[in-house]
Amino acid sequence: MEFMGYKRPDGSVGIRNKVLIISVDECCEGIARHIAKDFDDVVLLTNYYTCMLGGNEETFNQMIEVGKNPNVSACLVIAMGCGSILPEQIANPISKIGKKVLCMNCIESGGTKKSIELGKQMMNELVEYSNSFEREPVSIEKLIVGVKCGGSDTSSGIASNPSVGNMVDKFVDLGGTAIGGELMELLGCEEVLIERTKNKEVAEKIISLIKNEENRWSVEGTEVETMSIGNSIGGLTTLEEKSMGALHKMGSKPIIDVLQVNKDFIDKPKEPGFYLSEATMLCGGSAVNYASYGAQIIVWTTGGAGFNNPLIPVIRVSGNEDLINDDIDIDATGVMKGIEGINSVGDKIIEKIVQVANGSLTNVEGYGEATMSLYQKDQRVEKLLNIPCKR
Amino acid sequence: MGKKMMLMGDKDIVATALDDIENADIVSIMSSDNQELYTMEAKEDIPFGNKIALRNIEKGERIIKYNVPVGECIKNIEKGRLVHVHNVKSQRVDIPKAFKEEIIKQMNINTEV
Repeated sequence: MEFMGYKRPDGSVGIRNKVLIISVDECCEGIARHIAKDFDDVVLLTNYYTCMLGGNEETFNQMIEVGKNPNVSACLVIAMGCGSILPEQIANPISKIGKKVLCMNCIESGGTKKSIELGKQMMNELVEYSNSFEREPVSIEKLIVGVKCGGSDTSSGIASNPSVGNMVDKFVDLGGTAIGGELMELLGCEEVLIERTKNKEVAEKIISLIKNEENRWSVEGTEVETMSIGNSIGGLTTLEEKSMGALHKMGSKPIIDVLQVNKDFIDKPKEPGFYLSEATMLCGGSAVNYASYGAQIIVWTTGGAGFNNPLIPVIRVSGNEDLINDDIDIDATGVMKGIEGINSVGDKIIEKIVQVANGSLTNVEGYGEATMSLYQKDQRVEKLLNIPCKR
Repeated sequence: MGKKMMLMGDKDIVATALDDIENADIVSIMSSDNQELYTMEAKEDIPFGNKIALRNIEKGERIIKYNVPVGECIKNIEKGRLVHVHNVKSQRVDIPKAFKEEIIKQMNINTEV
């Protein structure tokens, strides 16, 4: 199977052709926003954490990897100039894979207004370069889909998650790559997960990375919601049952590896197939995690409405008749009513993925997109909990 | 065809309500591909999204849903009754007692049987 995508110099293939503006500190974001407003197909990524590099390495790594994402044609990297992250530190690894990248230091450029003027000139150059890309037929093996749930309710475990799981299996059979995440919501699923790999190291990784998430989110003296009373009234009896409902969206194919994102490195899929990952359970941050792994698209299951991203389109799947509206791309309510099978909804999701990859917009694409949230684990907490980064 | 419940895995011993089921309703147990497998009688109210016991389940048995254990039975459950926090506990991180009581109260679950 093929789709029409934008071939990038490194061999990856974009389904969108966006110029990415990276604000390496929050102080230059206003300048970046001012520059961006005159252009279409521009996406803004801002580091809101601190303008220092120390303790901010996971965010730093993600800014680079998002710049390398195949949906990005070219980048403008901006710094105010008084922080410790230099734009070139972000730009160099991105230009190394063949992308066009320009840098700007606002202080050196003579202040706010002059930087805006210069930034617009740079954007004209980048947009002209970006427009030189044209869609051409490529194999579906170049497509990487992130799978995520949120706003979950009874219908998620019965209709949307199993339908997405069905899609994942079919997509992998077609030669594509799918990535799941949210390890916190896989507590209790370890046995099922390790049965899906023959590789002992991957099995150990699954166990230890889920345990790390359990440790991060259950620090003594702090409260973490694993299940709400509303979840239980909706029919969920145990955390394992909730996790199994969530797991259902990850299909049944062998798990090739668990992709990690941390202060030292970010993994990428090495071959087509199904991967687990450390993509966070928090929706906004997960999109940037998935973009960092190289995913071009996200399939999101929900009770209703919710989450969107400006760089990697989000296909929304819901089976909740009461909350469904024109934000939802795939209507899985037929499964709840007992008039449509999961197999049939799975086929529809595959069809939608190919359409969106070819350039069709999702129902909310271009409207009210979420911030590109750069979520990272707090290095001080990681150290206190003695959670190491290791491959 | 009357009210429906869905079997999520072929080894499951519970099915999930796709309608609000009332005591004495005859319900259709459906496969996930929407085929009716058989019918059975509900022995109490089972609200939408909740689970029914497809056979008698004994204390100590593991509750199988999605073909895997999702909890442990802590009190014998008769076929046709509600399977929930009053007769099943987590084998991993159980719901705190006070929350369980609140769920039972809000759902008006009969814990005497």
